[in-house]
Amino acid sequence: MKDFRELETEIKKASDKFTNIESINEFRIKFLGKKGIISLEMKELASLSGDERKQHAEKLNKIKDTVLEIIASKTEELNSEELEKKLNSETLDITLSTSKSYGTIHPISQVIEEVITIFGDLDFFVAEGPEVETDYNNFTALNTSEHHPARQMHDTFYVETETDGMPNVLRTHTSPVQIRSMLKQKPPIRLIAPGKTFRCDNDQTHSPMFHQVEGLVIDQESNMSHLKGCLEIFLKTFFETDKLNMRFRPSHFPFTEPSAEVDIGYTKKGNQLIIGEGEDWLEILGCGMVHPNVLENVNINSNEYQGYAFGMGIERLAMLKYGISDLRTFFDSDLRWNKHYGFSPLNIPSIIGDLS
Amino acid sequence: MRFSYSWLTEHLKTNAHFEEIEKKLTSIGLEVEDIQDTGKAYQDFIVGQVLEEKKHPNADKLKLCKVDIGKEKVDVVCGAPNVEKGMKVVYAPVGSTIPVNQMKIKAAKIRGVESYGMMCSEYELGISNEHDGIIRLEEKETIGRSFSEIYGLNDIVIEIGITPNRQDCLGVKGIARDLASAGMGELLERKISREKGSFKSPIKIEIKDNKICSAFAGRYFRNVKNTESPEWLKNKLKSIGLRPISALVDITNFVMYDENRPLHVYDADKIDGKIIVRSANDGESFLALDEKDYHLKNGMCVIADEKKVLGLGGIMGGESTGCSTETKNVLLESALFDEINTAKTGRNLSILSDARYRFERGIDPNSTLKGIDLATQLILEICGGECSEVELAGNIKENKNEVATSSSYISRRLGFEVSDKELIPILSSLGIETSQTGDVIKCLIPSWRQDIQGEADISEEVIRIKGYENIPTSNIRLKSKINKNILNFAQKKLMKARHFIASIEYDELVTFSFTDSKNCEVFGNINKLKIVNPISEDLDILRPNLLPNLLQAIKKNKNRNFDSFSIFEIGSQYRSTSPEDQLNVACGIKSGIKTEKSWKNIQTEFDIYDVKQDLTSLIDYLMPGNKKISVSNDCPSWYHPGRSGSIKINNSVIAGYFGELHPRVASQFKIKNKINIFELYLDELPNTEKKTTNKPVLNLSDFQIVTRDFAFVIDKKVKSEEVVTSASKVDKELIRNVEIFDLFEDDSLGKDKKSIAIKVTLQSNEKTLAENDISEISSKIIESVEKSTSGTVRS
Repeated sequence: MKDFRELETEIKKASDKFTNIESINEFRIKFLGKKGIISLEMKELASLSGDERKQHAEKLNKIKDTVLEIIASKTEELNSEELEKKLNSETLDITLSTSKSYGTIHPISQVIEEVITIFGDLDFFVAEGPEVETDYNNFTALNTSEHHPARQMHDTFYVETETDGMPNVLRTHTSPVQIRSMLKQKPPIRLIAPGKTFRCDNDQTHSPMFHQVEGLVIDQESNMSHLKGCLEIFLKTFFETDKLNMRFRPSHFPFTEPSAEVDIGYTKKGNQLIIGEGEDWLEILGCGMVHPNVLENVNINSNEYQGYAFGMGIERLAMLKYGISDLRTFFDSDLRWNKHYGFSPLNIPSIIGDLS
Repeated sequence: MRFSYSWLTEHLKTNAHFEEIEKKLTSIGLEVEDIQDTGKAYQDFIVGQVLEEKKHPNADKLKLCKVDIGKEKVDVVCGAPNVEKGMKVVYAPVGSTIPVNQMKIKAAKIRGVESYGMMCSEYELGISNEHDGIIRLEEKETIGRSFSEIYGLNDIVIEIGITPNRQDCLGVKGIARDLASAGMGELLERKISREKGSFKSPIKIEIKDNKICSAFAGRYFRNVKNTESPEWLKNKLKSIGLRPISALVDITNFVMYDENRPLHVYDADKIDGKIIVRSANDGESFLALDEKDYHLKNGMCVIADEKKVLGLGGIMGGESTGCSTETKNVLLESALFDEINTAKTGRNLSILSDARYRFERGIDPNSTLKGIDLATQLILEICGGECSEVELAGNIKENKNEVATSSSYISRRLGFEVSDKELIPILSSLGIETSQTGDVIKCLIPSWRQDIQGEADISEEVIRIKGYENIPTSNIRLKSKINKNILNFAQKKLMKARHFIASIEYDELVTFSFTDSKNCEVFGNINKLKIVNPISEDLDILRPNLLPNLLQAIKKNKNRNFDSFSIFEIGSQYRSTSPEDQLNVACGIKSGIKTEKSWKNIQTEFDIYDVKQDLTSLIDYLMPGNKKISVSNDCPSWYHPGRSGSIKINNSVIAGYFGELHPRVASQFKIKNKINIFELYLDELPNTEKKTTNKPVLNLSDFQIVTRDFAFVIDKKVKSEEVVTSASKVDKELIRNVEIFDLFEDDSLGKDKKSIAIKVTLQSNEKTLAENDISEISSKIIESVEKSTSGTVRS
C-alpha cells in the first residue's frame, strides 16, 4: 500500500511559502493541475484494483480537500492583506468640501402658509379675490358708503377702469373677499383670505403694497366669544407659545359691530421682543361681529345668520415672530436680507411637524 | 383728540386715580395714544431774577449774570440778547432736563467762567418756536415759584384716537360722559347763563339750500374788545397744542374742543347786508383764513353776504370778515351743515380743518343753541359789549333714532347671558332712554349718538361699557367638517411651485405689483394698466409682467456686489386694470456663475438649458403622469429670438417660456449680463385633480438591457429633437430610452452640418434580445432617422 506521507509533507512545505496570488496559483497547478501530482495519482487509480483503489482514492480525496482548503484560506488571507494595503494608500482629504445650495422662501410666503396651516386645522378654507376690485366690493358692500370718513383713512389707489360708473380700486384690504365669497356660497362659511393689499402711503411704517389675511365665519350661532376663542388658538399656535396675554378693546370698522382691536402682551429683553408675556401691548389685528348690513348686502338673512370676521397684517405677524425690524425691507429685494430671513423650501409648515 | 386732565375734571367729578382713567379710556374704545405729564417735565423750572449782568471777559456775545433763585444766588453765563438787570426769568437748575432736546443741565465752565444752570426761551421749553430771547416773566412773579404753575402746565395731557363713529367724543364733555357711564365718576353739567339779548340782530340770515345747511343760528355782539385772552384760556388752548390768537377766536376754539361745537365769528362791520347760505356758483373764488384762494364749484356750501363769499360752510372762514384787534361788532355763527356735502367739499378742495373733521362725522343738532349760549357767556365776560337776540334760520331737527332690541338678541351676539337688569342701567348711563314691552326693549338714542342706528350698535354699547374683558372664550372646533378642501387645486399648484423652485436654488422675492411704465412697452399695453394716483412716477402702472421688477432687483443687487443670481417670484401680473385680468405667473431668473471655479470644478455659467430644465421639471412636478411637452421658437419679444423657446403641453396651450433676455431689453434696464429666464403661466396648466390615489400598473422586465450608440450628420438647422423622436418611434415597446450624448459641429462634417450622437436603450418584455434582433432594429433606427432628418449615419 502506498502511503502518501511524502506527498503530504511536500504539500505542507510548499504551502508555507506563499507570498502572493501567483505563488498560490503555482501551488494549485503543481498539485491539482492537469499534470499535477494529485491529478497523476488519481489517474493511476485506474490501474489499481479492489480495496486498494478504494483506499487510495479515499486518501487522495482527503489530500485534495486539504489542498483546496489551503488555497481558499491562503487566498483569502492574501486578498485581505492586499485590500488593507490598498485602503491604506487610498486616503482623501475629508476637510475639503463642495457645497449644495437651496433657495429660500420669502418670509411673507412662509407666514401665509403658517396661517393657512393653523386655520386649515380649524376647518377654514382659503378663499381668493382679485387685487383690482370694484368700489362696491371694497367699500359699499362693506357698509362703507361713498362719503364715510373711514374711506379717507384708506388712502385708496384708483385705476382707470370702472364698474357700474365707479372707478375700480386696488383693494385696500382683503375684506372684499368676504363679499365675493358670501355671494358664491351659502352659510355655514368658514374661510380665510390671504393676499396683497394696497394703500397710497409710503413711509417708515407704511408700504404702498402689503399683505393681509382675512377671516370670516358665518353660521347660526358664532358670536363674540367664539371670535375670542378662535383668535386665542390662532395667536397661541402662531407665536408658538402657551402663554398669551391678549386684550380685546372696542374699535370701529364699518363692516363689523361690535368691533374690536386685539393687542397681545410683550416684554423687551435687550433687543428681543418676547411675545405673549408682559404688561406692554402690541396691536395685532382688527375684528368684530359681521355688521347685519353686510349680510343683507349679500342676501344673507341677518336675523337667521350671524358671525365674525377678522383681518391682520402678514408683515406685522412676520416682524413680530421673526424679529424683522423694518417693514420696507420685505420688498427691497436685497438678496442678503432674503438669504438671512428666508426659509428652507423643505420647511413646509405643518400641524404634525413644525410650524416654522 | 388731545385734552388735559384738569379740563376733563371740569366735566367729570371723580375719585379715580389717573392710571384707572387711562386704562378705562382704552377699554371703552377711546384708545390712549400718548400721555404727557407736563407737570413732571417742568417741575424743576422756577422763577429767578437777574441781579447783575456784565460782559463775559472772553466772549463778545455772552454775558455773566447773577441770578436770585430764592434760596441762593447763582452765576449763570447767558447768550440771550434780551437779558437785563432786574428781569424775571425762567431758571433751569443744574440737574434739570431741557424739554426740547432732552439735554441735561450740568455745572460747566463756559469760556473759562463757571456757570450753574440756564435761563430759558419758550423754544427751549418746548412751548413755542420763539427762540430770539429768553422768557421775560411779569415783574410781579415771586422768585422761586414753579414755572409750570404760571403757564398752567401743571397738568397731564392725554391724546386719544377717536374712531370715525365716535363724533361725540371730539369734545372733552363727550369723553367725560363716556367715562361717567363706565363708572369713573359723575358727569358735571356746566352752568351756562342764557342771555336773552337786548336787541334784534341787524344782520338777517337766509338759508337758500336747506339740504346743505339745515339750520344757522346767529347772534350779533356790539362794542366788543377783541383783546388777548386771559391766562386760563390761553393756557387751556396751549395745553392741547393750539396757538392762542385773540379772545374771540380762542373762545370759539374752546367751545369746539369743550362741547364739540364748531362756531365761527365774523367781523360784522365787513358784512354787506344779510347772510345768505347757498350753494356756490361755478367759478366763484374766495380767500380763506389759511391765506389760500379756493375756486368753488356748484354744490359746495358757502356762507355769503349780498356781495361776496364769506366762508365755506362747516369748513373754513374767509379773510374778508376775519376778526382783528380792531374788531368792534361781530356775528357769531352756530350752524348745522350736511355731513356728506362737507366731506365732499373738503375733499375736493383738500382742506383739512377741525370744523370739517367734526361736521363730516356729524354734529349733535342740540349743540347749536347750547354752543351759542356758552360762547355768549365767555364773550361778554372777556370782551364785554352787548348781545342781540339769537337769529335762527332753518330748523333744528333732533331726529332721535329709535331702536328696538332684547336681551336675548344681545346675549346671542355677545356669546353670554346679559340680563335686562344689567342692560338697562348701562343704556341709560349713556343717555339712551329705554322702555320695555315684554321682551322688547325700545331705545331712544340721544342726539349726540347718531352712530347708533341698529340692534348691533346697541350690543356694542353694552359690551363696551361692560368691558370686552368680560367676554368668555368659546371653543370653535366643529363636530363635522364643513369644508372638503383647505386649498383648491390652483392654490396648491402655487404653493407646490414655490417650494419646488426654491428647492432648485432660487431665492423667492416679493416685489411690488406696480412698476415703471418706462421700459415696459415691450411687456404689454401700458395704457391699459395706469394707476390714477400712483405713489410715485416710477410706480405708475400695474405690472404687465413679473420681469421688470425682477430685473430692477438684479440691478440693485449688482450694485450691492452680487454678480450671480437665482431669483424667482410667484405673483400676479395684469393684462389690464379690470378685476378679471389678473394672471398667476411664476418667473425665475438665473444669471451669472453656475459653479464657481474650485479645487474640484471648473467655472461654468448659467445658460438657457438650466432654466429650460428647471421649467420642464417644474411642469413635471406640478403635472405628474403622461403628457406631451413640446418646444417651439415662438417667444414673446422680450426674449432673444434665437435663444428662447415656448413650451406647449399636449399640443394645446402655451404654458410657459424660457430663454435669454433680449439684449435690447437688457440694455434698457442697464444690465450687461446674460439673463436666463423662465416664465410659467400657472393658470394655463390644466387642473388635473387626482382621480384616483392608485398609481399606474408597473411592468418590469427581467431580460437583459442592451444599449447601442449611433451618430448622424445632419443639417445644423434640423432640431436635435427630431433625431430623438424619429429614433424613438421605430419600436415603442423595445426602445426604452433615447438620449443625446454628444453634439459636435465642425467644418470637416460639411458646411452647416452637425453631428449628433444618441444612445438607444433596448429591452424586451419577452426575451433576451439576440444579435440579429438588435441589428434588425438598429437598421430600422438608422433608416428612420436618416429619412426624417435627411441626414446620414456616421460609421
